[in-house]
Amino acid sequence: MKKFHVLTTALAAAVFLAGCGGNEAGDQTPRVAFTSMVSFGDSLSDVGSYAVGVVKLQGGGHYSINGKGATGLLWTNWTEFLSATLALSAPCAAETGLTPVQGAVPIIGDETPTFHDASNGGTCTNYAQGGARVTSPVGPGNAALFNPNDQSTSGDAIGQLTVPVKTQIANYLAHNGGKFSSDQLVTVFAGGNDIFMNAGGVLAGLETPTQAVGAMTQAGTELAAYVNTQILANGATHVVVVNLPDVSLTPYAVGAGAVAQGLIKNMVVAFNTALQAGVTASANLVYVDAYAASEDQATNKLQYGLTDVSTPTCTSSSSLVCTANTLIPAVAPAASGAAATAANTYEYADSVHPTPYGYRLLAELVSEQLAIKGWL
Amino acid sequence: MKKHSIASALVATAALCGAGAAQAQVAGQFMVKLGWNKIMPKVRSTELSAPALPGSTIDIKSASALFVTATYMVTDDFSVELLGGLPYKHDIIGTGSVQGVGKIGSIHQISPTVMLQYRFMPADAPFRPYVGAGPTFAKFYGSRGSAALTAFTNPGGPPTTIGGDTEWGATTEVGLSYKIDKHWFLDAALLKTFINTKAQLSTGQTTKARLNPVAINASIGYAF
Repeated sequence: MKKFHVLTTALAAAVFLAGCGGNEAGDQTPRVAFTSMVSFGDSLSDVGSYAVGVVKLQGGGHYSINGKGATGLLWTNWTEFLSATLALSAPCAAETGLTPVQGAVPIIGDETPTFHDASNGGTCTNYAQGGARVTSPVGPGNAALFNPNDQSTSGDAIGQLTVPVKTQIANYLAHNGGKFSSDQLVTVFAGGNDIFMNAGGVLAGLETPTQAVGAMTQAGTELAAYVNTQILANGATHVVVVNLPDVSLTPYAVGAGAVAQGLIKNMVVAFNTALQAGVTASANLVYVDAYAASEDQATNKLQYGLTDVSTPTCTSSSSLVCTANTLIPAVAPAASGAAATAANTYEYADSVHPTPYGYRLLAELVSEQLAIKGWL
Repeated sequence: MKKHSIASALVATAALCGAGAAQAQVAGQFMVKLGWNKIMPKVRSTELSAPALPGSTIDIKSASALFVTATYMVTDDFSVELLGGLPYKHDIIGTGSVQGVGKIGSIHQISPTVMLQYRFMPADAPFRPYVGAGPTFAKFYGSRGSAALTAFTNPGGPPTTIGGDTEWGATTEVGLSYKIDKHWFLDAALLKTFINTKAQLSTGQTTKARLNPVAINASIGYAF
C-alpha cells in the first residue's frame, strides 16, 4: 500500500501544482524583424507634415483629433499604431513645411519646407502629406488653388505642400541611394485627393462625370505603376498597398447629395479596380481591402465598437487643427485636460478623416492581413 | 506521436506474453495506471465579440501528456476511477477571417475526471472491456499570446492576453484492459468529453468555444 500512497500523492501533486501559472503576453516579436517603416500617401497617413506655422500654434498636424492620448488611445494615425505593433519607433514626417498665402494666413517663420529624412541627417521616413494626389502636384489645400475673390478657396490659403505620391517616392529614392531594403515595411495609401479634385471639377462644371471616373481609372493605374516600377522593382520586399475606402459613405459625400454620392462611389470603384488590376501579384506585396472594410464598418458598426458613422466629432472644418478642445459637445471631455473617450465610438473626426479610433480600426485590418501573410 | 507509438508498441509486445493465472480486478482492489493520453479538441468557436474584425474564430490543436489513474473496484464489475496527470499545452490558431495567421497563442489545461466504470467479463478474464462515465473538471490557465494576436486586437497597444476559465463537463469512455500477470495489466481507452469554455481577451472580447474533445490513451497498470 505504501507504493500506492506515493503514486496517489504524486498524482494529486501533479493535478494541483499544474494549476499554477498565470496568463502571459507570450512572444510579442513580429515574425519579420522590421527596422523601419516607409510610408507614401496623403492625409490618411500624414503624421505631421504641416505641424508648423499656424497649424502648430493650434496644436494640430494630424488629420484627426490631435494630441497624443487626446481620446485615451496611445496613437492617432494608423501608421503610428502599426509601427508600434512592429516594435518600431513612432513615424515622423520626412518633409515638413507650409506655403501660406501672405495676408490670408499669419506667417510664423518656421514654414520653410525642410526634409527630415536621410538627406538631412534625419531618420523620418513618412513621406505622406495631406492633400497629396497620386501624380498631380496640386491637391486640396495647395496655395495654387487660393483665389482671394472666391470665399470657397479660403482653406487653400494655408498652403499645404501636397507633394504627390509619385514625387514622394522619387524623393525617398533620391535620398536613400535609389533602393529599398528587405527589412523595411513600405506602405502606400492614396487616391482620396484625386476623388476630391475631380468631384469638385464636376461640381464646378469643369469636367463631365464620365471624365471624372476616367481620371480615377488613370490615377489607379498610375499608382499601381509606381508600386511596381519604383517600389517593388527597387528592392522592397514588404509592401502594403491599401485601397481607397468607400469615400461615398463619408459625411462629405453624404452631404453632397445622392447624385454626387453615386458619382463618388463610381470614382472610388474605378480607382480601386485599376489599382488592384495594376499591381503585380507578388510574394512581396499585401493588398489590403479597406474599401470592403469601410462598407462593413458602416453596415455593422457595433461589431467594430462604433456607434456613430456619420457625425464629425470636430467643430473645425478640417481636423488638421482639431484637438480635444474643439470637439462637439457629445464627445467633448468632461473636464479640461481629460481624454475625450466618448470620441472612440465615432468613425469621423471631420467630413472625411477618421477619429483616432477609426484609424486604429484600419491598423487592425492592416495588421490582420500582415499576420495572415506571416510578416507579423 | 513518437511517444504514442512507444506506448502502442508496449501494448503489442506485452500482448505476446502469456496471460497470468492469478485473479485481478476483484472487489476491494486498488489499481493504478500510468500512460500517455492524447486530447483532440473538436472545436467550434463563436466569432470574437465586438469590438473586433468580423469572422475571427479559433481552433485549438491536439495535445498529449503523461496521465495517471487510481481505481477502486467497488464490486467485481463496478469501479471508480480518478484520472489526472500532467498538464496539456494546446496551441491556439486563428480561423475564419484570420485563417492563415497560424498560431496566435497557447493555453494549458488540466482536466481531472472521476469515472464510474462497468467492466465486462469475469474478474479473472485476461481481457476485460469496460465502459465508463463521469464528471470532468477542466481548468484553463497559463496562456500565452503572440505578436499576431496583439496586432489585430490592439495594434500598438499593450500585449493582449488570453483569460482562461474553469468549466465542468461530462466524459464517457470505452476501454479494454489486458491482464499480464497477478499485478500488471495493460489498458487502452477512448474518451469523449462534452465541454464548452469561454475565453476572454484582455482587450475585452470573448469567444465561446465548444471543445468536445476525443481522447485516446494507452497505459500500463498495477493492481495491489
